[in-house]
Amino acid sequence: MTASLANRLTGPSTVLSRTLTGFAILATWEAVVRAFAPPYVAKPSTVALAIPRVIVDPAFIEATRVTLTAEGLAIALVFGTIIGLIMGRSVIAERSLRHYVNGFYAVPMIVVLPLLSLWFGYSGAARLATIVFAAIFSIIINVADGARSVPRDYLEVANSFRSGRLRTMIDIVLPSSMPYFLAGLRLAAGRALIAAVVAEFFTAIGGLGYYILYHSRTFRHDEAFVGVLLLAGFGVGFELLVAWSTRRFLPWYRRDEATE
Amino acid sequence: MVHVVTAGGSQARLRRHAPFVVSIVAGLALWEVVGRHTNPAFMVSFSETMARLWALAASGQLGAQFLESAKLFGTGFALALAVGMPAGLLLARVPSLRVGVEPYIMVIYATPLVALIPFILSLMGFGFGPKVLVVFLFAVFPVLYNTIEGARSIKTELIEVARSYRSSEWALWREVMVPYTLPFTMTGVRQAIGRGLVGMVAAEFFLSSTGLGQLIMTASQNFDTGAVFAIILIIGLLGVGLMRVGLMIENHFARWRV
Repeated sequence: MTASLANRLTGPSTVLSRTLTGFAILATWEAVVRAFAPPYVAKPSTVALAIPRVIVDPAFIEATRVTLTAEGLAIALVFGTIIGLIMGRSVIAERSLRHYVNGFYAVPMIVVLPLLSLWFGYSGAARLATIVFAAIFSIIINVADGARSVPRDYLEVANSFRSGRLRTMIDIVLPSSMPYFLAGLRLAAGRALIAAVVAEFFTAIGGLGYYILYHSRTFRHDEAFVGVLLLAGFGVGFELLVAWSTRRFLPWYRRDEATE
Repeated sequence: MVHVVTAGGSQARLRRHAPFVVSIVAGLALWEVVGRHTNPAFMVSFSETMARLWALAASGQLGAQFLESAKLFGTGFALALAVGMPAGLLLARVPSLRVGVEPYIMVIYATPLVALIPFILSLMGFGFGPKVLVVFLFAVFPVLYNTIEGARSIKTELIEVARSYRSSEWALWREVMVPYTLPFTMTGVRQAIGRGLVGMVAAEFFLSSTGLGQLIMTASQNFDTGAVFAIILIIGLLGVGLMRVGLMIENHFARWRV
């Protein structure tokens, strides 16, 4: 999906029709809200006016910092990669873990929230655990796929040069599964973002999700919507970043479509 | 995912399924042992989870709430298909429209839509409608996005050839548009199943509490850890099962994918 996203957003011949569509969407939204909805409901004009106010608000900056600190994602990345590599290269590990990884991946992630908040309390730790749970399985699955598809020639060469198992893992299997890793990372980042917001709704701990919840409950939808815009920007930005790094660092790789 | 296909009947089957059985049994045994040696407020054993599940099922609560959840998921998902597929095909057929709209669809596709739930709550309140809207929003964009993706993959030559043979609009849709985009749409349908389930649980958690979501919320508020595990297990199995169905649908249509 993403490799061509950047191109699609910037094709010169299409800029005009996209801009017009954008204006049409905003105008419709504005008109509908003005005509039918109460004044506190977010509409483009008032959201735009709220942006300069919100982005200098220390509470908003703090909330953004808390939610977008990617420690959960980092933990999921490190452990997911390790487990994925092992599963990809060891038949026993693969057979004994595969059903659990696939099963947990298919579980709607937010269902574990009540349990995790029971275990970790209504705290940042519960959010961290939710993010790790949401993100780790897509990384494991993709890294394992990548590690499994390492060309046999590479491994044979490594073998005949008497390379150790760990060395082969780090120098051959890991780089060779990079594209899969990036595909997994893209998925994991999206899921992690959802998990962070949902965990903040559920446990009411500070963060962007809670900022949105609090402001919409107190009928300040414009402020709340700025939070949604930031989340959208982050989601899209991450997609573009992954697409860019795939093109930049793995230019030989042309698999646009990741498994979800 | 690669199964080793060997000749021979039952022995090969045994060899193929043995690792599955062993790993599941080992997992359950581990769960049982850990559960018995932990504070029951945090973790309960497999056997206790099963007992709790049985009690919930026997009281009729589980069945009733399950139906409630199924109704929510079914309605939202059906609406998502009913809107997403025709809209995707229409955008596929009218490139000028598609070019204008698709970046916005992609942006929404990449946005965590859960963030909209508080707005839906304050605008639409409690009730069935807002919850269906949540499931719909979660499920519709994968369908739309993938259908458009499929439409982009139709070679212009195909449409030109159809045109030069004076194919009617209807025939063009039937012979070119739909067959070409359907496998992609089905990938979207599979993704929509997963996302729709997340939407269902999110709606039941954060809007008016009903269904399996309510069951799990009540259980966790009462520190009834056994019931929490039981319902997570049920929703988890539901997720796995529906994912399977989604994969089957996708693979079925992928056969004619070019």
